[in-house]
Amino acid sequence: MHSRSSLALSLAVMVVSGAGTIAALDWPLKAKLFPMVIGIPLFCLAAAEVAWILLSKAPEEKAAEGEVPPLVARRRSLLGVGWILGLLASVVLLGFPIAVPLFVFLYLKLQGREGWIFSAVFTAAVWGAFYGLFDSLLHLPFPTGWLVAWLGFS
Amino acid sequence: MNWKPGLLVLALLPLSAWAQPQPYAGKTVTIIVGYKPGGGYDAMARLLARHLPKHIPGKPTVIVQNMPGGNSIIAANYLYSSAKPDGLTLGTFNRNLPIAQLTAVQGVKFDMRKFAWIGSAANETTVLTIRSDLPYKNFDELRKAKQPVVIGSTGPGANTYDFPLLLKDLLGVNLKIVSGYSSSADIMLAVERKEVDGRAGSISSLRPFVERKLVRPVVRARSHDVDPAIKDLPVDESIAPNPRAKAIMALRSAPELIARPYVMPPNTPPELLKVMREAFVAAIKDPAALAEATKAKLDLEYTPGEEAMKVLDEVLNQPKDIVAEFSKYVKFGE
Amino acid sequence: MLEALLQGLLAVLQVKAFSFMLLGILVGFWVGLLPGLGGATTLALMLPFIYNMQPVEAFAFLLGMHSVVATTGDITSVLFGVPGEATTAAIILDGYSMTKKGQAGRALGAALTSSLIGALIGAAALALAVPIVRPLVLTFGSPELFMLAVVGLAFIASLSAQGVRGMVRGFIAGGTGLYLAMVGQDPQAGVARFTFDTLYLAQGIDLVPVLVGLFAIPEIIELVVRGSSIAGTTKPGRIEGALEGVKDVFRNGWLTIRCSLIGTFVGIMPGMGGAVAQWMAYGHATQSARTPEEREGFGNGDVRGVLGPGAACNSKEGGALIPTIAFGVPGSTSMAILLGGFFLLGLVPGPEMLTTHLSVTFSMVWTIVLANVITVALCFLLLNRLARLTTLPGHLLIPVILVLVFIGSYTTNSSYADLVVTLISGAVGYLMVRAGYPRAPLVLGLVLGKIAENYLYISVARYDAAWLLRPFVLVLLAVALGVVLYPFFQLWRARNRARA
Repeated sequence: MHSRSSLALSLAVMVVSGAGTIAALDWPLKAKLFPMVIGIPLFCLAAAEVAWILLSKAPEEKAAEGEVPPLVARRRSLLGVGWILGLLASVVLLGFPIAVPLFVFLYLKLQGREGWIFSAVFTAAVWGAFYGLFDSLLHLPFPTGWLVAWLGFS
Repeated sequence: MNWKPGLLVLALLPLSAWAQPQPYAGKTVTIIVGYKPGGGYDAMARLLARHLPKHIPGKPTVIVQNMPGGNSIIAANYLYSSAKPDGLTLGTFNRNLPIAQLTAVQGVKFDMRKFAWIGSAANETTVLTIRSDLPYKNFDELRKAKQPVVIGSTGPGANTYDFPLLLKDLLGVNLKIVSGYSSSADIMLAVERKEVDGRAGSISSLRPFVERKLVRPVVRARSHDVDPAIKDLPVDESIAPNPRAKAIMALRSAPELIARPYVMPPNTPPELLKVMREAFVAAIKDPAALAEATKAKLDLEYTPGEEAMKVLDEVLNQPKDIVAEFSKYVKFGE
Repeated sequence: MLEALLQGLLAVLQVKAFSFMLLGILVGFWVGLLPGLGGATTLALMLPFIYNMQPVEAFAFLLGMHSVVATTGDITSVLFGVPGEATTAAIILDGYSMTKKGQAGRALGAALTSSLIGALIGAAALALAVPIVRPLVLTFGSPELFMLAVVGLAFIASLSAQGVRGMVRGFIAGGTGLYLAMVGQDPQAGVARFTFDTLYLAQGIDLVPVLVGLFAIPEIIELVVRGSSIAGTTKPGRIEGALEGVKDVFRNGWLTIRCSLIGTFVGIMPGMGGAVAQWMAYGHATQSARTPEEREGFGNGDVRGVLGPGAACNSKEGGALIPTIAFGVPGSTSMAILLGGFFLLGLVPGPEMLTTHLSVTFSMVWTIVLANVITVALCFLLLNRLARLTTLPGHLLIPVILVLVFIGSYTTNSSYADLVVTLISGAVGYLMVRAGYPRAPLVLGLVLGKIAENYLYISVARYDAAWLLRPFVLVLLAVALGVVLYPFFQLWRARNRARA
């Protein structure tokens, strides 16, 4: 188990529970009881975990990823994160109806290395299903993206 | 008699219909609801969505979109600043939003008075009910109670909480308010269990339980068009010991006169607002709509936009000290 | 009563009612399968269509749809590691792990069979409980519900890895979940807690965006890293694999039944919510591990981790109908909407549903039974094709899954903030997987936090301290202690066995 991730998590929990407990001090009793009863032990547990990690200095386990060497794994993880953030950005900037087919197409072409025709057809299918189901049938509100609105297209 | 002018007019009549603008023909009207599907506001909106089309010239499609969040402040903000005033968007939201505006709740970015008000599709009356097997048969007896009467509620901001709170703090009724129940249905279960002794709420939601004789209404808030079953109950404001208490109670119950508010974005052209208002009047009188509403246990009555504006003026023009006092008791919530 | 039972069955078997049920099944099939569609939202959208139907037909449709959602939701969870529904997340832990090892067929077989058994037990409970339902629900007051939430939270211990270090991590996760549950306006003093003055957080953190981020995103990233299909290099199990899964369910028959009962019981309790039962069942399933190695196997593809939640998820539906029908108190959002359907059809939930309209109640029971049987049969027929999806190259599935994840999260509140929550949960989930923290306790804490707090306050406000001495409260307290201590007992027993 990677102790760096655990360290990051435990520190984050310490910060959150610590800050939360301090914020809660000002509240009336009924509002602060549970947050304090949970927050203080949480802080202590997280602190214990942090201490454990820092004091034991266990060797970082070699990632038993199986087929994928760690450097490649890291690169691909970052790539994956990048794509996810990219989808978020395009949803916000362009709106779901544009972002969805764009993302699917780009992912298939760039990451998947599929051919133009296949990518186009697949994208069309996905977009059709998405539009038919979520827009036409269910009328879910998908706001226009910021960029599109700014450009005056809505 | 000279027939010719008459004939001419007759011949031109169909032309006039053609010449009249049908702004809604072939369009889609959207009703934005500030809540998730399944609740009262949503049900009302969907009911109207089904019956409005035949009363709007051009017979557009009417759909509902849910925009929950922030107790419908988000939907109201959207209707205020983002929705286009082209007559194709309506919205409905939490009736207590005028109070939210009055008490400057964080995140409020609208001015209720600037919306193009269609009106309200229903009225509400808040009542306090207590279990039928309790020895208190009416409000006077309740006021003399020696033991605290336990009232269940969901939390501050809901009428299950605010109404009894004012009765307790301003009228001195011996109530103990226990809050945290997840829904008003849970509170009724607690009543059956004898865990709590009663609940406050809208008469429309309490009616089945009153009819079943599980609970008995004892006091109510002011309202238009009161349900005959509770018409004769004492009204909280009338028993207020001083003008300040009366003003606070009146402020709490004012939004209930616009119980199901429907608005269009600010600066909607007056002709379109007029069309929509007329459509609402017709739809709410429509026997098919009324039948459906009765089945769904929804109350349907139209309050015109002008009336709604009057109520808003009353609410939003309260003197600052009343508002300060009010905020001590009533917080904006559900 | 027997007569009403028969009448109910005949009513469902009529052509019109039956066809509506089939239609409902068709709709529910897709709703459960696709993460973007929530069972509750779709139920609400379907309500208008039932206006002109007879009660039996309408409920055949609504319930047909609703009963199926939990089953097909399991499919998405098992095959893709994405929760198809908020109520089918627990099955991902072991179900998806099995799929990654190429055992998709077996996992699906176990999931479907346990779902069927769970649904049957839940329906039977509904039918049998009719005479005792009112006294049963009335006995369980807020103190008992608080204790039940405590029992649920006690399962955090079971869901943690063994050993003190494992417990610490499990409780950190659980505590974090509880802490997250505190966000929002509190119902006692009206204070806006931890909302950072935003409107979005004023109503608290929604479960679905967190769930979807916590489980789906780490799996998606892992899929990108592996660069292969979900099943990896092994071929997914074919129909023989599925039969193996079916056999697994019967091999662990008692566990399946116990988990179904847990699901039904939790479903009956009003106010517990729909997401709790599966985690408690999962926790209970982990308790059946006999050695520490077996215990480690959970989360990596132990079939018991599939059939436990699978059964509980479906059985709780039958249970949840009980308070809805008998009291008009919905146990979950979908039940609340079903209740709306009740009113539309002129039926008043309450004592009459158990007396005058008993046959309608029984027709609902039969609908659940038949709908589940038909769905499971259908799924078995499609099993091969479904399992084969896991051999598709990952890069074809990833964009589709990711889009569905985003839509599923977004449609909770029609707010971009949900997407942010999903991504943050995704980051947290990713770190948790790498650091070896169990994610289940976090979900459990998030789901039970508010329930525990509210019922505690109600209990104290109403009964002062006397509620602690109520008989069921003490029973549940003992159960909670037992659940917390069980992992230590397991460890001690395993050590004894090793020594012997």
